[in-house]
Amino acid sequence: MARPLTHTKKDGSLYTRSSVVEAQIDTTVQLSQSDLQARLLIIDRNDPGYLVSECLVHLVRKGRRSDDQKLMYAVLLVLLGRCEANLLNKIPDGRVPDAANIREKILEDLTDLFVTDGTGDIPDELDFYECRFNLAFRALRIDAIRRNIRLCNHSIVEVDLQPPDATGEPDSYEDTFRRGSENFEVLQMHELRAIRQPLIKAIEDLPDDERKAVILVHVLGYEVESEDPVKESAATLCNCTGRTIRYRLTRAASKLSRFKEEL
Amino acid sequence: MNQNPDMNPRELQEAFYAISIAQDMPDAKLLDDVIRRYPQFRKELTEFAIAIAVDMLRGDHEIEATEDAIDPNTVSPAVSRAMSHFQNRLYAVTAEATKTKGRHANITDAANPFLSLRRDEFRAVASRLNANSVFICKLRDRQIDPATITTGFQARMAEELKVPPEVLMAHFTAPQTAPTTQFFNAEGKPFAGGQQSFEEAVKSSGLSEDQQKFLLKL
Repeated sequence: MARPLTHTKKDGSLYTRSSVVEAQIDTTVQLSQSDLQARLLIIDRNDPGYLVSECLVHLVRKGRRSDDQKLMYAVLLVLLGRCEANLLNKIPDGRVPDAANIREKILEDLTDLFVTDGTGDIPDELDFYECRFNLAFRALRIDAIRRNIRLCNHSIVEVDLQPPDATGEPDSYEDTFRRGSENFEVLQMHELRAIRQPLIKAIEDLPDDERKAVILVHVLGYEVESEDPVKESAATLCNCTGRTIRYRLTRAASKLSRFKEEL
Repeated sequence: MNQNPDMNPRELQEAFYAISIAQDMPDAKLLDDVIRRYPQFRKELTEFAIAIAVDMLRGDHEIEATEDAIDPNTVSPAVSRAMSHFQNRLYAVTAEATKTKGRHANITDAANPFLSLRRDEFRAVASRLNANSVFICKLRDRQIDPATITTGFQARMAEELKVPPEVLMAHFTAPQTAPTTQFFNAEGKPFAGGQQSFEEAVKSSGLSEDQQKFLLKL
């Protein structure tokens, strides 16, 4: 049986591996070096011999703990290859400044987790990777990009553009919002997926405040605003009024409306 | 992990994992829940969840295709550099751990023959050596450069402590530790830090001229 994970969730329960991962670990740790090497070469994820990344993490940790250099290096090499493929896809050149360096930094960050495994602030951080590798690696990747942007001082000054002053004309802004955003509001997730790449590119190209409003309301499912003072809404999360959120949605909708026509 | 100033606080790191691992696409319920647990990172978590959402909208199909195209028999330059980074870091960490372990081993291996002395025995040893407690404390706390301790004094001291001279010298040459609080009043406590020469120690321990002459002649 694989060494149990030790990281606890906020409710006190332990993180656990999936039964598939557990079973794969159990069989893999009994393989000879040559058999393991053969399994590591399988890249077809539909092949029953394919080793999932969660299992690879476990093996590298095992090698590190037992000072089995051969095991550690052989498995880590394969894992890093997969991660690089992931990064080349998620952070291709041109998507963010200095993409190549960010990709390398993320690979280094991942190897650092193995070096410091069992020590540091989160000694069992790699437990996340044995649970759900891709989602844990996603956190590492997105955080690395976030930190890189911060370090590069690409700070975006958020200007809280107010909606057109509706004083004396209480309905004019609402009307504008309804007319402008209806094209976008009716888009559902399956529709978003159908026109994904150009639409996502367009969403990414939106000004920061508009993109935030669109994702919070249309993807994460937040209300624009709420009368309940303790309930989070797009307005509270963006620290602005509901009217401002609607205005941002309107502007975003007008920019994205061409995708509605393409459906 | 926090050696690097651009690293996240531990709790923020935990919160990022919590959002990312809970489900493929975060939603308002999940983000609300994590923000409730980590309210101090509300802004960071909101931006992180938005970034994940955009990432998910892009889809993962292409990643699978890219991974399937990996040639397992070749190592890319980026992976090669990451492996090299790993080796270097691992070496540094292992070397440091070995050094620390060795240091601890030296300290524990070199038993301090003074520590087993009761207060009255401690004073008796000082008296028989024609010295005082301050001077003996300097020896106990390795505040005297062992290279400057005369052979005669070493032999006499070993005899008084009833230990072989080698054991005594092993104690003197072991790394200095923080002074022990054994038998000290508030004043005249030995200081931690640099070592004095044997002669300096003799002259700065409040010993009479006769005592100093006696000890330096040994």
